[in-house]
Amino acid sequence: MSPEQAKQLLLLYRSRRDLEDPEIKAAFDQARRDPELQQWFEGHCAAQRKLKEHLSNLPVPRDLQHTILTGRKIVRPTFWSRPAWLAAAAVIAILAGVAALWLRPTPFQRFDLYRSRIVSTVWREYRMDIETNELSAVQSYLAKSGASTNYILPDKLRDLPVTGGGKLKWGDEPVSMVCFDGGGQQMLFLFVMNRNAVKDEPEGRPELRKVNQFQTASWTDRTNVYILAGPDDPAFLEKYGPVQ
Amino acid sequence: MTGSGDFENLVDLHYAGLYRFALSLTRDENHAADLTQQTFYIWAAKGHQLQDRTKAKSWLYTTLHREFLAGQRRQHRFRHYELNEVSGELPPIDPALVNQLDSQALLVSLSQMDPLFRAPVALFYLEDYSYKEIAEILEVPLGTVKSRIARGLAQLHTLIIKVVPRGEPKGERA
Repeated sequence: MSPEQAKQLLLLYRSRRDLEDPEIKAAFDQARRDPELQQWFEGHCAAQRKLKEHLSNLPVPRDLQHTILTGRKIVRPTFWSRPAWLAAAAVIAILAGVAALWLRPTPFQRFDLYRSRIVSTVWREYRMDIETNELSAVQSYLAKSGASTNYILPDKLRDLPVTGGGKLKWGDEPVSMVCFDGGGQQMLFLFVMNRNAVKDEPEGRPELRKVNQFQTASWTDRTNVYILAGPDDPAFLEKYGPVQ
Repeated sequence: MTGSGDFENLVDLHYAGLYRFALSLTRDENHAADLTQQTFYIWAAKGHQLQDRTKAKSWLYTTLHREFLAGQRRQHRFRHYELNEVSGELPPIDPALVNQLDSQALLVSLSQMDPLFRAPVALFYLEDYSYKEIAEILEVPLGTVKSRIARGLAQLHTLIIKVVPRGEPKGERA
């Protein structure tokens, strides 16, 4: 093969493990016989090592591991072999643990996780099932697709032009999404889900919380839990939330 | 691998690598953290379906990559480049030049690459996967992976040369 062809193959070389590939091995052997190619190859390997080092040193957010683990923590009691009285105590403790496990919210029932994931979904992949400026058309679509339409829009939000909507899912629970044009190229997303689907939904005043680039305001009524997501401006969000 | 300890173990082992992979795809720290979190969240919901537990790591990388692609909502099909199409596109990269580069500048160069090449090149550097494993993670044929990596590296070299001009020490750039 020509030196240029050998270089193309040697680009793929990282360690001796890659010599299992016969093409790379042939190029590698050729470099050993060709001093000019060998010099290029050594320079290439040195550069590759440095590039790998740079990428491997990219800092990772300190709280990422904690965030992931607290987003999904399932306690699984384990039984161990001990003297009878310890075993009895363990059984009681395990029964108490199982009861607590039974009663504690599953990941899908945690409101903070729901809020984080549903807003992140839109942040990652903004997609409306229906694009229309008619709220009635959005409601009609949601009703047909089995999502909730019995939501109550706060007055100020109702005054904003609708841009569309869609049906999302949280576990098996349908989530209605209605999108509004907040003016100045600002979009507002309202997510509505049956409040029984989560166990620790906010009560009282709308709860403000930042999720990714969005500011969110969350509240509940007797039937639904609401999340309004928009630009990172708490005052702007509060303006369109329910009046308390 | 469904218990709490197993999950914590899995997160402990792979969250940093997955985050760096995500960051090399997105160049956005928030987006990368979100993709990483989403990947583990999907594992928590669906990981039990994976019968061969030794494939958990590949599964996580495949899932993260799928999530990234879903977010991209690509409208066009990408060209398939043959390895020999790379010919004539191999700018020599001087190791001294790479020494002048820092991780952030490399990330900028990666982000300017054709998105098609970014994932295989990131896996090429970040993980010691074989080409076959990279092909499985990205769900493309082996030959395609090799051609994408070769072409991606050539493109990356060009971008690095632009970021750090030859003979100009990093500290003296405007």
